[in-house]
Amino acid sequence: MSKDGSSAVFPLTLEYAVRWARKNSLWPMPYGTSCCGIELMSTLSSTYDLARFGAEVVRFSPRQADLLLVAGTITTKMGPVLRQVYDQMCEPKWVIAMGACSSSGGIFNTYSVLQGIDEIMPVDIYVPGCPPIPEGLIYAIMRLQDTIEKGLPRPKAERLTPEQARNAMSYREVITDSIFKDPSKSSLEESLAQSAAPEAAKTKSSHSTKEG
Amino acid sequence: METLLKNDLVTPLQDYYNPNVLLNLGPSHPAMHGTLRVMCRVNGETIEDASCEIGYLHRAIEKLAENKTYHQWIVYTDRLNYCSALANNVGYVMAVEDVMGITITERCMYIRMICLELARVIDHIICVAINALDLGAMTVFWMLYTWREQAYTIIEGMCGMRLTTSYARIGGMAYDLPENFQAEMKIFLEGLPKTLDDVEKLLSANRIWVDRTKDVGILTAEECLGFGLTGPVARASGVDQDLRRDRPYYNYSDLDWDVVVATKGDVYDRYLVRMEEMRQSLKILKQLCAKLPGGSIWTEDSRVLIPKKKDVYEKMEVLIHHFKIFMEGIDVPPGESYRAIEAPNGELGYYVVSRGGPKAWRIKIKSPSLALFQSYEHSIKGAKIPDAIAILGSLNIIAGELDR
Amino acid sequence: MSRLLLKNREAQDGINGHLKQNYAQQGRYDEDANQEGILWLVSSGDLPEVVRKLREDSSLAMDRLADLSAYDNVDGVDGAGRFVFFIHLYSSKFHSRMRIKCLIAEGEEVPTLTGIWPMANWLERECFDMFGIRFRGHPDMRRILMDERFEGHPLRKEYGLEARQQFSDSLPIRMVTENEVSK
Repeated sequence: MSKDGSSAVFPLTLEYAVRWARKNSLWPMPYGTSCCGIELMSTLSSTYDLARFGAEVVRFSPRQADLLLVAGTITTKMGPVLRQVYDQMCEPKWVIAMGACSSSGGIFNTYSVLQGIDEIMPVDIYVPGCPPIPEGLIYAIMRLQDTIEKGLPRPKAERLTPEQARNAMSYREVITDSIFKDPSKSSLEESLAQSAAPEAAKTKSSHSTKEG
Repeated sequence: METLLKNDLVTPLQDYYNPNVLLNLGPSHPAMHGTLRVMCRVNGETIEDASCEIGYLHRAIEKLAENKTYHQWIVYTDRLNYCSALANNVGYVMAVEDVMGITITERCMYIRMICLELARVIDHIICVAINALDLGAMTVFWMLYTWREQAYTIIEGMCGMRLTTSYARIGGMAYDLPENFQAEMKIFLEGLPKTLDDVEKLLSANRIWVDRTKDVGILTAEECLGFGLTGPVARASGVDQDLRRDRPYYNYSDLDWDVVVATKGDVYDRYLVRMEEMRQSLKILKQLCAKLPGGSIWTEDSRVLIPKKKDVYEKMEVLIHHFKIFMEGIDVPPGESYRAIEAPNGELGYYVVSRGGPKAWRIKIKSPSLALFQSYEHSIKGAKIPDAIAILGSLNIIAGELDR
Repeated sequence: MSRLLLKNREAQDGINGHLKQNYAQQGRYDEDANQEGILWLVSSGDLPEVVRKLREDSSLAMDRLADLSAYDNVDGVDGAGRFVFFIHLYSSKFHSRMRIKCLIAEGEEVPTLTGIWPMANWLERECFDMFGIRFRGHPDMRRILMDERFEGHPLRKEYGLEARQQFSDSLPIRMVTENEVSK
């Protein structure tokens, strides 16, 4: 009860309160490897303050963080290290793949770069850009907050085969027709089968991925 | 004798009494500037032996040089020393222009020098800020970073990107300077020295800073020469080498500036050298902005000059020429050239080997960070763990450049 | 064009002239696009001796190793040898550069320069990692950029750009306790 008699307590369900608390106190673990790491530092500094969104405390220990911000290229040598860091985080945990390199390998389609960290861990938000400007990262964090608040499902992104990527224009129609008309269809297979598109061959990753 | 570590989960009892602990300052560490790994054998807090491992950011940029055309590879040069991407761009196109024998225009030269000095200032800002942040001085980080944002505004006006610029082109620059360039530079040139004064008030006579950085990580001039160190770290140890003065490229010999050399070679000296180098770079920038000539930024050499759009639409040969430049790439004659510039970290060199054609046969990047990190192993033997962190911050190792 | 100042041009020309006169019998002398001298050695075994002489020669004084690596000569344009091994030297006294190049065969071992300059240590490891060129007398000849279990040498022309080899764990780091280099 506040001084003028008005009530300062809002009746909520516990789940809503928990989601509100979680979204407003995302403690990031900045896993900055390369250029995106510098833009991450810019986002954390005073001009584009990320602390406004609750990310005041930047924790460098995975056990104390709940948001893994992978910013930068992840190479095959670094992959196991990143996976170990991800495994050390406690639930609930979210992953933002910042930049092109961690989303898909970026401009480096070479023998030593992972083509996206979703080869080794489930990712919630992908931030495009090379590097993304701080506003982009802030938008991604806000989208993540939205996801947490509304309790939206966190499906694993389906990777395109090179065949589908080459047919980008026709593929897009398939996506917009099927998935966005029917949000419950989160599986790519079902939506493609529904619109009688060519068979979507599932990509096989080069080594076994552990399910998060 | 090599000591192979085993992944033992059970520690034998005799190891319990062993004062030597193996500490892995792993690739994911707050004080590791990028993806570096140092395995130390620690006795209490003193590091008795150290072994560094790199390669956690090896992105095969040199292999990509053999598969991409010279023009396409410009974007990869940004990702080398990403704190000063403009300098890397300029160094690379200088090397290719040497092989082709292209002379650039006056305006292009001045713009490139502005890029180089601006890159130097922002790289030193990051180095001093992160070094201070590691040792606990967070205020310095916030204060200096706002000036990096102003520099980003200038750079964004020049080429559209803040960090990974890809501004230089073979034979010219991508875009000309914007109209508000001089105004924005004026803000930068007048405001940054005041912040540098504030930072010096905070740090230079600060008891904590001095105690943590004086006599820490001393490298003598002979060691610097042996390890091939160049740049502010070598100059802090007394090695009086600066490629801008010793082997001047462009118009550095016509400008009035000083090379900053210190004597002792500890972390404190490196900090002082970088602060003063920032001021000297601002001095150079002032002179460059005052002398900036007009004219075109593209050379007249038809091998690289992109033809005017009007001619492309109207004349057949020009259309074919335009097509060849963009679809095949420019044709670089066989030859080779090693071109080194004084990048913020030291001597950044590009060795371009061409056997004719639009793609390079081999490009080797001489990265200053490799030598710096190699000397790190030597520097931290006998030092304490906090000293190791201070030394790493002062060396300004950029992992992108280290691993390429 | 390289706009070297007149005094630098003269110094560089002086160095080039001295190299052509006194050292060209070891191999042949060439110049690159920047008119910097290239000394081609006949055999890689001469390397440490030539480098020491260049360092002690008072009219050359090549005291800093700038770079060290190799490039693939699989098409044989530069001569008969699988790789062309090169080093870049810099003279602090005359502010001039030179290059030493040498054709080496597949499997040939090049003598190490770590005794002369500690900087060569990691550069030679990188050369081994990328090309497979071994260095005789190197204290720690192992891969530096790739994982130690990696097979093949990436910068050779036959290695595919996208040929990935991935390992699901990271190796424990090996500590080489004797990092001292014997002269």
